[in-house]
Amino acid sequence: MSFRVIDGGMVSWLDSQAIYHAVASAMNGASEPTVTLVHPSKPYICIGYHQELEKEVDVAYCYENGLPITRRQVGGGAVYLDENQLFWHLIIPRSQAPYRIEDIYTRYLAGPVNALRRMGIPAVHRPVNDIQVEGRKIGGTGAATIGDAVVIVGSLIFDFNYELMARVLKVPSEKFRDKVYHSMREYLTTITRELGSRAPTWEQGKHILIEEIAKSLSRDVYLDRLNEREQAEMGIWRETLASNEWLSQAGGLRHKGLKIAEGVHVREAAHKAPGGLIRATIVAKEQTLDDLTLSGDFFIFPDNSLPGLETALTGSSLTEQELHERSLKYWQDQNIQSPGLAPADVALVVMQAAGEQAT
Amino acid sequence: MTSHIYRGCEFPADRYYDVERDVWVLRDEDGFVTMGMTDPAQAQCGKFVHIRFKATGRILQRGQSAATIESAKWVGPFPTPLSGEIIATNEAAYRQNILLANKDPYGAGWLVRLKPAHFEEEWPLLLSSDLAFDRYREKIVERDMRCYRCAD
Repeated sequence: MSFRVIDGGMVSWLDSQAIYHAVASAMNGASEPTVTLVHPSKPYICIGYHQELEKEVDVAYCYENGLPITRRQVGGGAVYLDENQLFWHLIIPRSQAPYRIEDIYTRYLAGPVNALRRMGIPAVHRPVNDIQVEGRKIGGTGAATIGDAVVIVGSLIFDFNYELMARVLKVPSEKFRDKVYHSMREYLTTITRELGSRAPTWEQGKHILIEEIAKSLSRDVYLDRLNEREQAEMGIWRETLASNEWLSQAGGLRHKGLKIAEGVHVREAAHKAPGGLIRATIVAKEQTLDDLTLSGDFFIFPDNSLPGLETALTGSSLTEQELHERSLKYWQDQNIQSPGLAPADVALVVMQAAGEQAT
Repeated sequence: MTSHIYRGCEFPADRYYDVERDVWVLRDEDGFVTMGMTDPAQAQCGKFVHIRFKATGRILQRGQSAATIESAKWVGPFPTPLSGEIIATNEAAYRQNILLANKDPYGAGWLVRLKPAHFEEEWPLLLSSDLAFDRYREKIVERDMRCYRCAD
Protein backbone atom coordinates (compact mmCIF):
# COMPACT_ATOMS: atom_id res chain seq x y z
CA MET A 1 0.00 0.00 0.00
CA SER A 2 1.24 3.50 -0.66
CA PHE A 3 1.10 6.87 0.99
CA ARG A 4 -0.21 10.05 -0.56
CA VAL A 5 1.82 13.23 -0.28
CA ILE A 6 -0.05 16.48 -0.72
CA ASP A 7 2.55 19.22 -0.99
CA GLY A 8 0.46 22.35 -0.62
CA GLY A 9 3.44 24.68 -0.54
CA MET A 10 2.82 28.14 0.87
CA VAL A 11 -0.84 28.57 1.76
CA SER A 12 -2.93 31.03 3.72
CA TRP A 13 -2.67 30.74 7.50
CA LEU A 14 -6.23 29.44 7.54
CA ASP A 15 -5.55 26.74 4.97
CA SER A 16 -2.45 25.61 6.84
CA GLN A 17 -4.84 24.39 9.56
CA ALA A 18 -7.86 23.56 7.42
CA ILE A 19 -6.00 21.13 5.20
CA TYR A 20 -5.45 18.33 7.67
CA HIS A 21 -8.87 18.78 9.27
CA ALA A 22 -10.36 18.45 5.79
CA VAL A 23 -8.35 15.41 4.69
CA ALA A 24 -9.14 13.67 7.99
CA SER A 25 -12.86 14.47 7.74
CA ALA A 26 -12.99 13.06 4.21
CA MET A 27 -11.25 9.81 5.17
CA ASN A 28 -12.85 6.38 5.60
CA GLY A 29 -11.48 2.95 6.45
CA ALA A 30 -10.43 2.23 2.88
CA SER A 31 -8.68 5.54 2.30
CA GLU A 32 -4.97 5.76 1.72
CA PRO A 33 -2.79 7.26 4.45
CA THR A 34 -1.81 10.80 3.57
CA VAL A 35 0.78 13.34 4.56
CA THR A 36 0.14 17.01 3.91
CA LEU A 37 2.99 19.52 3.81
CA VAL A 38 2.30 23.25 4.00
CA HIS A 39 3.64 26.45 5.45
CA PRO A 40 1.64 29.58 6.16
CA SER A 41 2.13 32.80 4.26
CA LYS A 42 1.88 34.81 7.44
CA PRO A 43 2.28 34.23 11.19
CA TYR A 44 -0.66 33.31 13.38
CA ILE A 45 -1.51 31.86 16.76
CA CYS A 46 -3.17 28.49 17.19
CA ILE A 47 -4.70 27.33 20.48
CA GLY A 48 -5.40 23.79 21.57
CA TYR A 49 -8.87 22.35 21.27
CA HIS A 50 -9.87 22.67 24.91
CA GLN A 51 -8.13 25.92 25.75
CA GLU A 52 -10.01 29.10 26.57
CA LEU A 53 -8.83 31.83 24.25
CA GLU A 54 -8.91 34.80 26.62
CA LYS A 55 -7.07 32.89 29.33
CA GLU A 56 -4.23 31.72 27.13
CA VAL A 57 -3.54 34.44 24.57
CA ASP A 58 -3.18 38.22 24.74
CA VAL A 59 -5.97 38.65 22.21
CA ALA A 60 -5.77 42.45 22.10
CA TYR A 61 -2.05 42.36 21.32
CA CYS A 62 -2.57 39.81 18.56
CA TYR A 63 -5.28 41.80 16.84
CA GLU A 64 -3.43 45.10 17.19
CA ASN A 65 -0.42 43.48 15.54
CA GLY A 66 -2.26 41.69 12.76
CA LEU A 67 -1.84 38.18 14.16
CA PRO A 68 -4.83 35.97 13.36
CA ILE A 69 -5.85 33.39 15.94
CA THR A 70 -7.55 30.05 15.43
CA ARG A 71 -8.29 26.88 17.36
CA ARG A 72 -7.26 23.42 16.19
CA GLN A 73 -9.00 20.12 16.84
CA VAL A 74 -5.84 18.79 18.41
CA GLY A 75 -4.96 19.22 22.07
CA GLY A 76 -2.04 20.90 23.74
CA GLY A 77 -1.24 24.55 24.20
CA ALA A 78 -1.10 27.83 22.33
CA VAL A 79 1.59 27.97 19.65
CA TYR A 80 3.04 30.62 17.41
CA LEU A 81 3.24 29.45 13.80
CA ASP A 82 4.88 31.18 10.86
CA GLU A 83 6.46 30.75 7.45
CA ASN A 84 9.72 29.44 8.95
CA GLN A 85 8.02 26.19 9.96
CA LEU A 86 7.20 23.38 7.53
CA PHE A 87 4.05 21.78 8.86
CA TRP A 88 3.65 18.04 8.34
CA HIS A 89 0.38 16.29 9.05
CA LEU A 90 0.14 12.50 8.94
CA ILE A 91 -3.45 11.41 8.43
CA ILE A 92 -4.20 7.71 8.76
CA PRO A 93 -7.53 5.85 8.64
CA ARG A 94 -8.22 4.88 12.24
CA SER A 95 -8.57 1.23 11.29
CA GLN A 96 -5.03 1.25 9.86
CA ALA A 97 -3.34 3.01 12.79
CA PRO A 98 -2.02 1.41 15.97
CA TYR A 99 -4.55 1.31 18.78
CA ARG A 100 -2.44 2.72 21.60
CA ILE A 101 -1.54 6.41 21.58
CA GLU A 102 2.06 5.64 22.51
CA ASP A 103 2.39 3.27 19.56
CA ILE A 104 0.90 5.87 17.22
CA TYR A 105 3.60 8.34 18.20
CA THR A 106 6.37 5.74 18.06
CA ARG A 107 5.41 4.64 14.57
CA TYR A 108 4.68 8.00 12.99
CA LEU A 109 7.36 10.16 14.59
CA ALA A 110 10.11 7.88 13.27
CA GLY A 111 10.03 9.60 9.87
CA PRO A 112 10.43 13.18 11.14
CA VAL A 113 13.05 12.10 13.68
CA ASN A 114 15.07 10.29 11.02
CA ALA A 115 14.75 13.28 8.70
CA LEU A 116 16.38 15.51 11.30
CA ARG A 117 19.10 12.92 11.90
CA ARG A 118 19.80 12.76 8.20
CA MET A 119 20.25 16.52 8.19
CA GLY A 120 22.94 16.06 10.83
CA ILE A 121 20.86 16.76 13.97
CA PRO A 122 21.03 13.97 16.59
CA ALA A 123 17.28 14.04 17.20
CA VAL A 124 15.44 11.47 19.30
CA HIS A 125 11.81 10.76 20.02
CA ARG A 126 11.26 11.50 23.67
CA PRO A 127 8.03 9.81 24.72
CA VAL A 128 5.31 10.53 24.69
CA ASN A 129 5.43 13.02 21.86
CA ASP A 130 8.46 15.33 21.92
CA ILE A 131 11.29 15.37 19.42
CA GLN A 132 14.45 16.46 21.18
CA VAL A 133 18.11 17.17 20.55
CA GLU A 134 20.31 16.69 23.59
CA GLY A 135 17.55 17.79 25.94
CA ARG A 136 16.24 20.61 23.74
CA LYS A 137 12.88 20.36 22.03
CA ILE A 138 13.05 20.67 18.25
CA GLY A 139 9.54 19.57 17.45
CA GLY A 140 6.26 19.56 19.27
CA THR A 141 3.66 17.14 18.03
CA GLY A 142 0.06 16.30 18.74
CA ALA A 143 -2.50 13.68 17.85
CA ALA A 144 -6.23 13.54 17.56
CA THR A 145 -9.04 11.45 16.18
CA ILE A 146 -10.94 13.51 13.60
CA GLY A 147 -13.77 11.67 11.91
CA ASP A 148 -12.55 8.22 10.97
CA ALA A 149 -8.89 9.25 10.93
CA VAL A 150 -6.02 9.56 13.31
CA VAL A 151 -4.07 12.77 12.78
CA ILE A 152 -0.49 13.34 13.94
CA VAL A 153 0.78 16.89 13.46
CA GLY A 154 4.18 18.51 13.80
CA SER A 155 6.61 20.78 12.04
CA LEU A 156 10.18 21.12 10.86
CA ILE A 157 11.19 24.32 12.59
CA PHE A 158 13.77 26.07 10.48
CA ASP A 159 13.63 29.23 12.57
CA PHE A 160 11.53 30.56 15.45
CA ASN A 161 10.47 33.92 16.82
CA TYR A 162 10.92 33.31 20.55
CA GLU A 163 10.19 36.91 21.49
CA LEU A 164 6.87 36.99 19.70
CA MET A 165 5.86 33.60 21.07
CA ALA A 166 6.49 34.83 24.62
CA ARG A 167 4.71 38.10 23.91
CA VAL A 168 1.44 36.66 22.64
CA LEU A 169 0.82 34.46 25.66
CA LYS A 170 -1.39 35.52 28.55
CA VAL A 171 0.92 35.31 31.54
CA PRO A 172 0.45 36.16 35.23
CA SER A 173 3.37 38.59 35.35
CA GLU A 174 6.12 40.10 33.25
CA LYS A 175 8.64 38.11 35.30
CA PHE A 176 6.80 35.01 34.14
CA ARG A 177 6.96 36.18 30.54
CA ASP A 178 10.65 36.83 30.88
CA LYS A 179 11.15 33.34 32.31
CA VAL A 180 9.16 31.87 29.44
CA TYR A 181 11.26 33.70 26.87
CA HIS A 182 14.55 32.64 28.38
CA SER A 183 13.39 29.07 28.92
CA MET A 184 12.30 28.80 25.33
CA ARG A 185 15.65 30.08 24.12
CA GLU A 186 17.32 27.46 26.28
CA TYR A 187 15.01 24.49 25.70
CA LEU A 188 13.53 25.06 22.24
CA THR A 189 15.87 24.80 19.31
CA THR A 190 15.61 25.03 15.54
CA ILE A 191 17.26 23.55 12.47
CA THR A 192 19.13 26.80 11.87
CA ARG A 193 20.40 26.99 15.46
CA GLU A 194 21.63 23.42 15.31
CA LEU A 195 23.22 23.47 11.88
CA GLY A 196 23.98 27.07 11.01
CA SER A 197 25.34 27.28 7.47
CA ARG A 198 25.01 23.49 7.12
CA ALA A 199 21.23 23.71 7.39
CA PRO A 200 19.44 22.29 4.35
CA THR A 201 17.38 24.52 2.14
CA TRP A 202 13.64 24.44 2.52
CA GLU A 203 13.20 22.18 -0.51
CA GLN A 204 16.00 19.86 0.59
CA GLY A 205 14.45 19.58 4.05
CA LYS A 206 11.06 18.79 2.58
CA HIS A 207 12.41 16.03 0.34
CA ILE A 208 14.39 14.50 3.15
CA LEU A 209 11.24 14.46 5.27
CA ILE A 210 9.15 12.79 2.57
CA GLU A 211 11.82 10.15 1.94
CA GLU A 212 12.25 9.36 5.62
CA ILE A 213 8.51 9.09 6.22
CA ALA A 214 8.27 6.65 3.32
CA LYS A 215 11.24 4.65 4.60
CA SER A 216 9.97 4.50 8.18
CA LEU A 217 6.60 3.19 7.03
CA SER A 218 8.02 0.92 4.34
CA ARG A 219 5.64 2.39 1.82
CA ASP A 220 5.94 4.03 -1.54
CA VAL A 221 4.77 7.59 -1.66
CA TYR A 222 3.29 9.51 -4.54
CA LEU A 223 2.40 13.12 -5.04
CA ASP A 224 -1.27 13.87 -5.18
CA ARG A 225 -3.78 16.71 -4.90
CA LEU A 226 -6.84 17.19 -2.76
CA ASN A 227 -9.72 15.21 -4.21
CA GLU A 228 -13.24 16.51 -4.65
CA ARG A 229 -14.46 15.39 -1.25
CA GLU A 230 -11.42 16.90 0.47
CA GLN A 231 -11.95 20.17 -1.39
CA ALA A 232 -15.51 20.26 -0.13
CA GLU A 233 -14.32 19.64 3.42
CA MET A 234 -11.79 22.44 3.00
CA GLY A 235 -14.66 24.82 2.42
CA ILE A 236 -16.43 23.64 5.55
CA TRP A 237 -13.31 23.77 7.72
CA ARG A 238 -12.24 27.19 6.43
CA GLU A 239 -15.57 28.50 7.61
CA THR A 240 -15.39 26.68 10.94
CA LEU A 241 -11.82 27.63 11.79
CA ALA A 242 -12.44 31.29 10.94
CA SER A 243 -15.65 31.55 12.94
CA ASN A 244 -15.90 33.47 16.19
CA GLU A 245 -18.12 30.76 17.59
CA TRP A 246 -15.41 28.12 17.13
CA LEU A 247 -12.67 30.34 18.44
CA SER A 248 -14.60 31.56 21.46
CA GLN A 249 -16.10 28.28 22.56
CA ALA A 250 -15.62 27.46 26.19
CA GLY A 251 -12.62 25.24 26.65
CA GLY A 252 -12.31 24.77 30.34
CA LEU A 253 -8.86 23.22 30.25
CA ARG A 254 -6.43 25.35 32.10
CA HIS A 255 -2.85 24.40 32.66
CA LYS A 256 -1.40 26.55 35.36
CA GLY A 257 2.07 27.31 34.25
CA LEU A 258 3.48 26.74 30.80
CA LYS A 259 5.12 23.69 29.30
CA ILE A 260 8.24 24.58 27.34
CA ALA A 261 9.28 21.04 26.48
CA GLU A 262 8.71 17.56 27.88
CA GLY A 263 9.73 17.83 31.53
CA VAL A 264 10.34 21.59 31.47
CA HIS A 265 7.71 23.96 32.82
CA VAL A 266 7.49 27.59 33.84
CA ARG A 267 5.23 28.06 36.84
CA GLU A 268 4.41 30.71 39.36
CA ALA A 269 2.88 30.89 42.81
CA ALA A 270 2.44 33.47 45.52
CA HIS A 271 2.33 32.98 49.26
CA LYS A 272 1.16 35.43 51.91
CA ALA A 273 3.76 35.27 54.64
CA PRO A 274 3.31 37.37 57.81
CA GLY A 275 5.93 39.78 56.43
CA GLY A 276 4.30 40.21 53.03
CA LEU A 277 3.55 38.51 49.76
CA ILE A 278 6.34 36.44 48.21
CA ARG A 279 6.10 35.29 44.60
CA ALA A 280 8.19 32.56 43.02
CA THR A 281 8.51 32.25 39.26
CA ILE A 282 10.29 29.02 38.49
CA VAL A 283 11.55 26.86 35.70
CA ALA A 284 11.10 23.26 36.78
CA LYS A 285 13.12 20.71 34.88
CA GLU A 286 11.78 17.29 35.81
CA GLN A 287 12.11 17.33 39.62
CA THR A 288 14.82 20.00 39.77
CA LEU A 289 14.59 23.75 40.21
CA ASP A 290 16.29 24.95 37.05
CA ASP A 291 15.74 28.68 37.49
CA LEU A 292 14.09 30.94 40.04
CA THR A 293 13.00 34.54 40.43
CA LEU A 294 11.67 35.77 43.74
CA SER A 295 9.74 38.97 44.25
CA GLY A 296 7.21 40.47 46.56
CA ASP A 297 6.44 43.20 49.04
CA PHE A 298 8.43 41.85 51.99
CA PHE A 299 11.52 43.41 53.59
CA ILE A 300 14.85 41.65 53.47
CA PHE A 301 18.28 42.85 54.64
CA PRO A 302 20.79 43.18 53.08
CA ASP A 303 18.68 44.72 50.31
CA ASN A 304 20.47 42.84 47.53
CA SER A 305 20.00 39.38 49.06
CA LEU A 306 17.48 37.99 46.59
CA PRO A 307 19.74 37.21 43.62
CA GLY A 308 22.07 35.28 45.90
CA LEU A 309 19.15 33.38 47.42
CA GLU A 310 17.86 32.53 43.93
CA THR A 311 21.29 31.22 42.99
CA ALA A 312 21.55 29.25 46.25
CA LEU A 313 18.29 27.46 45.50
CA THR A 314 18.83 26.87 41.79
CA GLY A 315 19.69 23.24 41.19
CA SER A 316 17.82 22.07 44.28
CA SER A 317 15.52 19.09 44.03
CA LEU A 318 11.91 20.15 44.18
CA THR A 319 11.40 18.84 47.68
CA GLU A 320 10.47 20.95 50.65
CA GLN A 321 13.32 19.48 52.69
CA GLU A 322 16.16 20.44 50.36
CA LEU A 323 14.66 23.81 49.52
CA HIS A 324 14.30 24.60 53.20
CA GLU A 325 17.83 23.41 54.01
CA ARG A 326 19.36 25.54 51.27
CA SER A 327 17.28 28.58 52.26
CA LEU A 328 18.21 28.19 55.92
CA LYS A 329 21.92 27.87 55.09
CA TYR A 330 21.72 31.02 52.98
CA TRP A 331 19.91 32.89 55.80
CA GLN A 332 22.64 31.85 58.24
CA ASP A 333 25.66 32.38 55.93
CA GLN A 334 24.48 35.84 54.84
CA ASN A 335 23.08 36.87 58.22
CA ILE A 336 19.73 37.67 56.59
CA GLN A 337 17.12 39.64 58.45
CA SER A 338 13.60 39.46 57.08
CA PRO A 339 10.74 40.37 59.42
CA GLY A 340 7.86 37.95 58.94
CA LEU A 341 9.59 36.00 56.18
CA ALA A 342 11.36 32.76 57.02
CA PRO A 343 13.29 30.18 54.97
CA ALA A 344 10.25 27.94 55.34
CA ASP A 345 8.15 30.53 53.47
CA VAL A 346 10.57 30.49 50.56
CA ALA A 347 10.54 26.69 50.42
CA LEU A 348 6.75 26.71 50.60
CA VAL A 349 6.19 29.14 47.73
CA VAL A 350 8.63 27.32 45.46
CA MET A 351 6.86 24.05 46.23
CA GLN A 352 3.51 25.67 45.55
CA ALA A 353 4.77 26.80 42.17
CA ALA A 354 6.21 23.37 41.45
CA GLY A 355 3.11 21.57 42.55
CA GLU A 356 0.70 23.22 40.08
CA GLN A 357 -1.25 20.75 37.98
CA ALA A 358 -3.53 21.12 34.95
CA THR A 359 -7.14 21.82 35.86
CA MET B 1 -21.97 -7.28 39.01
CA THR B 2 -20.23 -10.19 37.27
CA SER B 3 -17.71 -9.43 34.60
CA HIS B 4 -15.57 -10.97 31.93
CA ILE B 5 -11.93 -10.08 32.50
CA TYR B 6 -8.98 -10.53 30.17
CA ARG B 7 -5.51 -9.01 30.52
CA GLY B 8 -6.83 -6.61 33.10
CA CYS B 9 -9.69 -5.47 30.84
CA GLU B 10 -13.09 -5.78 32.43
CA PHE B 11 -16.44 -6.18 30.64
CA PRO B 12 -19.43 -6.24 33.01
CA ALA B 13 -22.03 -8.84 32.12
CA ASP B 14 -24.99 -6.48 32.48
CA ARG B 15 -23.93 -4.15 29.63
CA TYR B 16 -24.22 -4.11 25.88
CA TYR B 17 -21.28 -2.99 23.78
CA ASP B 18 -20.33 -1.24 20.59
CA VAL B 19 -16.94 -2.86 20.15
CA GLU B 20 -15.94 -0.76 17.14
CA ARG B 21 -16.62 2.49 19.03
CA ASP B 22 -15.42 1.14 22.41
CA VAL B 23 -18.63 2.20 24.17
CA TRP B 24 -20.74 0.36 26.76
CA VAL B 25 -24.48 0.92 27.04
CA LEU B 26 -26.83 0.09 29.92
CA ARG B 27 -30.57 0.28 29.46
CA ASP B 28 -32.14 1.81 32.53
CA GLU B 29 -35.58 1.03 33.94
CA ASP B 30 -36.93 4.33 32.71
CA GLY B 31 -36.16 3.35 29.11
CA PHE B 32 -33.27 5.73 28.80
CA VAL B 33 -29.69 4.50 28.36
CA THR B 34 -26.48 5.28 30.18
CA MET B 35 -23.23 5.13 28.23
CA GLY B 36 -19.51 5.24 28.91
CA MET B 37 -16.07 4.20 27.71
CA THR B 38 -14.95 0.61 27.94
CA ASP B 39 -11.87 -0.41 29.88
CA PRO B 40 -9.69 -0.73 26.72
CA ALA B 41 -10.86 2.72 25.62
CA GLN B 42 -9.86 4.43 28.85
CA ALA B 43 -6.55 2.56 28.91
CA GLN B 44 -5.85 3.53 25.31
CA CYS B 45 -6.77 7.14 25.96
CA GLY B 46 -4.60 7.52 29.00
CA LYS B 47 -5.23 9.85 31.89
CA PHE B 48 -7.92 12.38 31.09
CA VAL B 49 -6.92 16.01 31.36
CA HIS B 50 -10.21 17.44 30.12
CA ILE B 51 -13.62 16.49 28.82
CA ARG B 52 -16.22 18.68 27.18
CA PHE B 53 -19.77 17.40 26.89
CA LYS B 54 -22.36 18.28 24.29
CA ALA B 55 -25.26 20.07 25.93
CA THR B 56 -28.29 18.29 27.30
CA GLY B 57 -31.13 18.49 24.84
CA ARG B 58 -28.75 18.02 21.92
CA ILE B 59 -29.99 15.50 19.34
CA LEU B 60 -27.31 13.12 18.07
CA GLN B 61 -27.24 10.60 15.26
CA ARG B 62 -25.60 7.24 15.76
CA GLY B 63 -21.83 7.72 15.59
CA GLN B 64 -21.83 11.39 16.43
CA SER B 65 -19.73 12.67 19.28
CA ALA B 66 -21.42 13.19 22.63
CA ALA B 67 -18.26 14.53 24.26
CA THR B 68 -14.68 15.37 23.37
CA ILE B 69 -11.93 13.99 25.53
CA GLU B 70 -8.38 15.21 25.90
CA SER B 71 -5.67 13.14 27.49
CA ALA B 72 -2.08 14.18 27.87
CA LYS B 73 -1.27 13.56 24.22
CA TRP B 74 -4.54 13.05 22.31
CA VAL B 75 -7.92 14.55 21.60
CA GLY B 76 -10.81 12.44 20.42
CA PRO B 77 -14.56 11.96 20.45
CA PHE B 78 -16.85 9.85 22.60
CA PRO B 79 -19.25 8.61 19.92
CA THR B 80 -22.77 7.48 20.72
CA PRO B 81 -23.76 4.11 19.25
CA LEU B 82 -27.43 5.09 19.46
CA SER B 83 -29.29 8.06 18.05
CA GLY B 84 -31.17 10.17 20.53
CA GLU B 85 -31.36 13.16 22.80
CA ILE B 86 -28.83 13.80 25.53
CA ILE B 87 -30.82 14.00 28.73
CA ALA B 88 -27.94 14.12 31.19
CA THR B 89 -24.16 14.24 31.31
CA ASN B 90 -21.75 13.44 34.12
CA GLU B 91 -20.08 16.82 33.78
CA ALA B 92 -20.43 17.83 37.43
CA ALA B 93 -18.68 14.69 38.65
CA TYR B 94 -15.87 15.06 36.12
CA ARG B 95 -15.32 18.63 37.29
CA GLN B 96 -14.61 17.21 40.72
CA ASN B 97 -12.50 14.33 39.47
CA ILE B 98 -11.29 14.28 35.90
CA LEU B 99 -9.97 10.73 36.28
CA LEU B 100 -13.34 9.04 36.82
CA ALA B 101 -13.24 7.07 33.58
CA ASN B 102 -9.65 6.00 34.33
CA LYS B 103 -10.66 4.79 37.79
CA ASP B 104 -14.17 3.42 37.36
CA PRO B 105 -15.22 3.43 33.70
CA TYR B 106 -18.36 1.36 34.29
CA GLY B 107 -19.59 3.03 37.48
CA ALA B 108 -18.82 6.57 38.56
CA GLY B 109 -17.12 7.21 35.20
CA TRP B 110 -20.31 7.03 33.11
CA LEU B 111 -20.44 9.80 30.55
CA VAL B 112 -23.84 10.45 29.02
CA ARG B 113 -27.50 9.46 29.39
CA LEU B 114 -29.56 9.36 26.27
CA LYS B 115 -33.25 9.10 25.28
CA PRO B 116 -32.97 6.74 22.30
CA ALA B 117 -34.72 7.86 19.12
CA HIS B 118 -34.53 4.60 17.12
CA PHE B 119 -34.20 2.00 19.83
CA GLU B 120 -35.83 -0.92 18.01
CA GLU B 121 -33.56 -0.53 14.96
CA GLU B 122 -30.31 0.36 16.69
CA TRP B 123 -30.27 -1.69 19.89
CA PRO B 124 -29.78 -4.99 17.94
CA LEU B 125 -26.58 -3.52 16.50
CA LEU B 126 -25.01 -3.72 19.96
CA LEU B 127 -23.44 -6.89 21.29
CA SER B 128 -24.23 -8.67 24.53
CA SER B 129 -21.35 -8.95 26.95
CA ASP B 130 -20.65 -12.57 25.98
CA LEU B 131 -20.40 -11.80 22.28
CA ALA B 132 -18.56 -8.54 22.90
CA PHE B 133 -16.06 -10.30 25.12
CA ASP B 134 -15.18 -12.75 22.34
CA ARG B 135 -14.55 -9.86 19.96
CA TYR B 136 -12.60 -7.92 22.56
CA ARG B 137 -10.37 -10.85 23.37
CA GLU B 138 -9.28 -10.97 19.73
CA LYS B 139 -8.79 -7.22 19.67
CA ILE B 140 -6.74 -7.27 22.87
CA VAL B 141 -4.44 -10.00 21.56
CA GLU B 142 -4.13 -8.36 18.14
CA ARG B 143 -3.19 -5.06 19.71
CA ASP B 144 -1.10 -6.59 22.46
CA MET B 145 -3.08 -4.63 24.98
CA ARG B 146 -3.46 -4.62 28.71
CA CYS B 147 -5.80 -2.46 30.76
CA TYR B 148 -4.79 -0.44 33.77
CA ARG B 149 -6.85 1.78 36.03
CA CYS B 150 -5.76 4.86 37.94
CA ALA B 151 -5.44 4.20 41.65
CA ASP B 152 -6.98 6.56 44.19
